[in-house]
Amino acid sequence: MAEISFPLPDLGEGLIEATVLEWLVSEGDQIERNQPLVEVETSKSAVELPSPQAGKVVKTYGEPGGKINVGEPLIVFEVADDTAGIVGTVPREEAPKRRVRLSALPDDED
Amino acid sequence: MYKDNQEGTTMEMEPAGAAVNVVEMSMQQALNRALMETLERDPKTLVFGEDVGRLGGVFRITDGLQAKFGSDRVFDTPLAESGILGMSVGLAMAGWHSIPEVQFDGFAYPAINQIVCQIGRMNYRSRGIMPMPITLRVPSFGGIRAPEHHGESLEALFAHVPGLKVVSPSTPHEAYHQLKYAASRPDPVIFMEPKSRYWQKGEVDLDNAGERTGSAVVREGKHATLVAWGAMVSRCLQVAELAAEDGIELEVLDLRWLKPIDAEGLAASVSKTRRAVVVHEAPRTSGLGAEVAAIINERCFRTLRAPVERVTGFDVPYPSGDLEDEYIPNIDRILFGIQRVLEYRRG
Repeated sequence: MAEISFPLPDLGEGLIEATVLEWLVSEGDQIERNQPLVEVETSKSAVELPSPQAGKVVKTYGEPGGKINVGEPLIVFEVADDTAGIVGTVPREEAPKRRVRLSALPDDED
Repeated sequence: MYKDNQEGTTMEMEPAGAAVNVVEMSMQQALNRALMETLERDPKTLVFGEDVGRLGGVFRITDGLQAKFGSDRVFDTPLAESGILGMSVGLAMAGWHSIPEVQFDGFAYPAINQIVCQIGRMNYRSRGIMPMPITLRVPSFGGIRAPEHHGESLEALFAHVPGLKVVSPSTPHEAYHQLKYAASRPDPVIFMEPKSRYWQKGEVDLDNAGERTGSAVVREGKHATLVAWGAMVSRCLQVAELAAEDGIELEVLDLRWLKPIDAEGLAASVSKTRRAVVVHEAPRTSGLGAEVAAIINERCFRTLRAPVERVTGFDVPYPSGDLEDEYIPNIDRILFGIQRVLEYRRG
């Protein structure tokens, strides 16, 4: 298994920090991609951050009321090794498909 | 398996079942283990590159190495491939064996000057005073739906450079032993890892490396030889399985070393089957298939029943993920190539 850490993303409008209002997942939870992770409040608004990926939550950073700077760790996931790459996909083994049949039988007489 | 006893006069059989040390693992695990053991064996060995330290590599090949060996021996570099390879040159001069990683094949281009003008030449230039013990790991070839620059097939480029050796493993067993072998050699080796095969599992015989140089016949047959390397070996084995349904017995030769090419192994197989199809992902023109065909011509001209067929990528930039199924030789294109050599008639 591999661990992947995600930082607090840039929430736009030049904001550099956010206050944790409420964690919507707990350490040990198995969660889906886009599932709401945490409600945070910036100086503009309160927003729910969706999960960037599926996985098991290993650690969350920040108690309710605490501040996190953009770019600092927010959450750590445990994922299967073969989904941990950051570029591309893992090819799935499929039964080979063919359309071409071989017809010429070799003539090796001489 | 036997072991010598101290008297030297009798051989003693080890208990059944304990002797064979065969483990099933993915190529990613095999490479990771090979690096682990190499770092343990040789304290003058270093592993470095983009994200190989703290993250453990984008393909997790260097996972856990920094925690075990420290950030002096396993470390992250700036995003600058010419610097990564330039540092390897300096380290080699100072007696270190470096195992740098270029994160993706397409990122090797910025390092070409160091690879061609320094790494390939320093031993020659210094009359053997400065060997370049550098094992450059390059996640290579396509098949993972990656964007541009993240899937390339650069073997012909590297093989053309005097002073370099080039190898590409096709299975976890090959990856494990070939990386350990390359990292124990004084020569610069370009180690092309087929990234689409990282997660497929296979048996690794940890104790029995087998022959490490030359090519390997991975399936025996008599009607034609399929020559391939890296990720194309498993595809050719699938093709051989399908051809057998039609009564055609194909031999599959894993070329393994792309520089130097095992001319004798090629000739031995093709002398038997009398027909050859070489398969690669790289563009056709001046691809390694041309070299393979030339060697077969030189050695087997009189026995050949058909011109050597090439089934390759096209003469276009290696495409990004959406188009790669149209580009990489697929089963039908390989079968067509076989059909052409089977039905060719002289005169």
